[in-house]
Amino acid sequence: MSVGGLQRVGTGLLTLTLLLAGCASDPGDQPVALAGGVPVGAVLALTGNANVYGQDQKVGLELALQQRNTSGGINGRPLTLALEDSGSDEPGANAAFTLQINRGVLALVGPTLSQQAFSADPIAQRRGVPVVAPSNTADGIPEIGFFISRVSASSAVIAPMAIAQALKMQPGLKRAAVFYAQDDAYSTAETTIFQASLKEKGLEPVTVQRTQLNDQDFQNQISAALREKPDLIVVSLQAVDGGNLIRQLRELGYRGLIVAGNGMNTPNIYPICQKYCDGLLIAQAYSPELDTPANAAFLKAFKAAKGGAIPPQLTAQAYTALQVIGEALVRLDKRQPLAGAPLAAARKQLMQEILAGTYATPLGEIRFTPEGEVIQSQFSVAQVRMDPGGRSGRFALLK
Amino acid sequence: MDLIQILVNGLSVGAVYGLFALGYTLVFSVLGVINFAHGAVFTLGAYFTYLLIGGAIGANGLMAGFQLPFALPFWGALPLAGLGAALVALLVERVAFRPLRRRRADPLLALITSLGAGVILVNLIQLLVGAESYAIPTSVLGGLPASFPLLGARVRTVQALLLGVAVLLLALLSLWLEGSRNGRGLQAVAEDPETAQLLGIDSTAMVRLAFGLSGFLAGVAGGLVGLSVSIAGPYFGIGYGLKGLAVLVLGGLGSVPGAVLGGLIVGLAEAFVPADWSGYKDAVSYGFLFLVLLLRPRGLLGRPLPTKV
Amino acid sequence: MDAALLEQMLLGALLALSVYLPLRCGQLSLATPGFYAVGGYVAALLSTRVAAFAGSGATSPLWALVAEMVLGGILAGLIALAIGGPVLQLRGIYLAIATIALVEILRVLNLNLPFTGGAMGIFAIPQPFEQADGYVLFTLVLLALACWLCQRLEVLRLGRAMAAIRDDELAAASVGIDTPRTKLIAFVASAVLAGVTGALAAHFLNAWNARAGSFDASITTLAFVVFGGSRYWLGPVLGGLVLTALPELLRPVGDLRLILFGSVILLGPLFFPQGLVTAERLRGLGALLGRAPQAP
Repeated sequence: MSVGGLQRVGTGLLTLTLLLAGCASDPGDQPVALAGGVPVGAVLALTGNANVYGQDQKVGLELALQQRNTSGGINGRPLTLALEDSGSDEPGANAAFTLQINRGVLALVGPTLSQQAFSADPIAQRRGVPVVAPSNTADGIPEIGFFISRVSASSAVIAPMAIAQALKMQPGLKRAAVFYAQDDAYSTAETTIFQASLKEKGLEPVTVQRTQLNDQDFQNQISAALREKPDLIVVSLQAVDGGNLIRQLRELGYRGLIVAGNGMNTPNIYPICQKYCDGLLIAQAYSPELDTPANAAFLKAFKAAKGGAIPPQLTAQAYTALQVIGEALVRLDKRQPLAGAPLAAARKQLMQEILAGTYATPLGEIRFTPEGEVIQSQFSVAQVRMDPGGRSGRFALLK
Repeated sequence: MDLIQILVNGLSVGAVYGLFALGYTLVFSVLGVINFAHGAVFTLGAYFTYLLIGGAIGANGLMAGFQLPFALPFWGALPLAGLGAALVALLVERVAFRPLRRRRADPLLALITSLGAGVILVNLIQLLVGAESYAIPTSVLGGLPASFPLLGARVRTVQALLLGVAVLLLALLSLWLEGSRNGRGLQAVAEDPETAQLLGIDSTAMVRLAFGLSGFLAGVAGGLVGLSVSIAGPYFGIGYGLKGLAVLVLGGLGSVPGAVLGGLIVGLAEAFVPADWSGYKDAVSYGFLFLVLLLRPRGLLGRPLPTKV
Repeated sequence: MDAALLEQMLLGALLALSVYLPLRCGQLSLATPGFYAVGGYVAALLSTRVAAFAGSGATSPLWALVAEMVLGGILAGLIALAIGGPVLQLRGIYLAIATIALVEILRVLNLNLPFTGGAMGIFAIPQPFEQADGYVLFTLVLLALACWLCQRLEVLRLGRAMAAIRDDELAAASVGIDTPRTKLIAFVASAVLAGVTGALAAHFLNAWNARAGSFDASITTLAFVVFGGSRYWLGPVLGGLVLTALPELLRPVGDLRLILFGSVILLGPLFFPQGLVTAERLRGLGALLGRAPQAP
């Protein structure tokens, strides 16, 4: 092939790319498309190594959608939810966000991981699309901008509560050991709060052990920690790595108290730590045992859909995120009908409406700061109680 | 820290790496190429074991609620799960490797086709049984204690079992490779496929044999590791694929005893990283790998460098 | 098709070219994502920590972006230069594994160094362009430049030396080609291109963390080249564009998306063992474009 020929092919390819680039359009100046219902989008990690979180969140969204549409939708119009998979990486989240925004959705729920949020949320912010994050707990998420909010509280309030609870159960605690996964954004954010809270209570950690999200064998870190003879172990890990750590801690003979953070507030820990989950203290942003009408309704819907199981925190938070958007849409539409409104203006008003409201959710009553940070009234600490046989259990609320 | 405890910890992790790498290296020894679908076959072995001991599928995925009408004891389920995994490995060979061999295509292509097979398997698992974790209950070990003391260190019983099985499988495999007709045929094909062909050895059959065995080993390993750390979803075995590369090279690519040795070495190297530097743990094993590659490219027990890619 | 996806595709094409360069002289290096991550950190750090790079207007200055790309490319190139000598003595799968190890070592360093932001990484990276269209135009220019350089290689002495090494390293050495130097040049060029691409990608992705350079990315970028074809630069470019776009284009199939994507990766090399772009197809295309074909 000649040089000229190759150059010709190259030029052709580049021209084609340019043509394709020209085809995009921003629907922001058109009226909200209400033909099929009121459009809302969600972007979750349904594939990749965060797939289990996305799977739990999807259930929550489906239940919230069902709940909204069986109680009148958005003033008679159905709420429609377009769900897209982000994979577990940043480029996937960005692509899914852009796709949803170009589709003309009024608001977005997602993305699943904090790292994805730092990448994808600025896109929504620049294009003026409200985002309600169901699971991003890292510092700095609502600060991305006006359009970014979250219903997933950081552990700032819960972590100290859990430590206080441990001290209430065993006032003589002296030596705390801390574990966290250094390559996980949730884990690194939460452990900072746990460690500060321990210091405040005069329990300077005797050792801090770092793990990796994908680690499954923790004997090195456990032997190093147990050498310090801790009587309290504080864990900021996700269900799988955290569950394995707890199982191995117990198998290797640790008998003291264990406090775990939000990441383990899910029945997904049962198959990992099995009977060894028993007695674990968990700082909860959602308690399945919270006694409110909103939680009762959520539990009922969850049990109908998934058998007798207990909903994970991620499911409850995703449910809450869509519930917030749904209720804000109902109020907005009453005040200022969505029909005929330009999409960009409707998105902005919806964000103001989201931030202005108070919501009775499965998480308890919540509202937002002007920045979009959630203000949650109820947090709790639970103790895991496993059934004999170690296959299932419950998160018993501690008062 | 006590030396003994460090050794125990290192052997404990190393046993898992070694078990994973046994089947990984078998395919490499014959084809000279890495099978990126190995991690997915390992994962399937764990799921097969779970189903065979009577486990039920959760509420997500197309097989939601599915349970076999019978339940086998763990030690009966494990070899059957290995057979199931062997069938899958043969299928992988059939679709991702054999067409390339027949066309004498660049072996490099098998990296990509096997990756494709792995992606399909992992996502198929998720589609069928969901992304959640499954437990092989600790009770299958019967009355054994969860851990026992050894020279002042503590050993998890299940990890001791893993190490024992890894060494046992290695011994059996070595005996078979040296002592049986098929085993020697396999080695001949691994040495030099063309000469083997001249000697009347059916290299296609040998490749199939290698895949079947590799799948069996992966399946058994998956079930055992699942017993130790539960089955953490469809990506369960994928994570070992990368660490497995380090293990393969350290032991000597294509060397069967080297796979187990490499596993133990990587495990020990990680165990000797001081706790304060545990953030750098993975860099230590890959740094070590890097050095070994530069100083002794054939690995610790490997054959001289092959001329083929 | 939206501009953001197109930008992602163009970045994929650039990374594919970075894998192609060493492969052009027969070296299977999978280090590209590691250098990509390094370049991205350079851009992320400069534009978030140095006021002049962030600028004061709505968008960060274009010169800053170019400077970051140059610096990112230089740093990646220097790392490649430092390790290239010993590493490139390895061959085939050994070289591939050593470069995978390098990517992992860089990832762990990026996760642990005091200034790279740990697991969260670096976020709120300023934007040099208001919209994705700006990125697309800019990246097209960069890609065109990279393609032009690759095309020049076809006629340059260096390019012919690279091809000779790919075909037979011993023979190449025996006719007086400085094989270690040629391989090193290709390796460093690959690193520079990956570093430059990373610097651009860090802005486009708004945030940067250690996950940018991973084992998975190594294999994905290799798939770009194998899929497109490793003989001509057009192959990796096409492979990068197509395989980046594919998961997005497969969205309508829902849950089966990645199963289909895996099938394409599996079947592609079986049906096109030389990749999509081969000498014959290029000739056919050339004829189609109305120019008498010549043998390559």
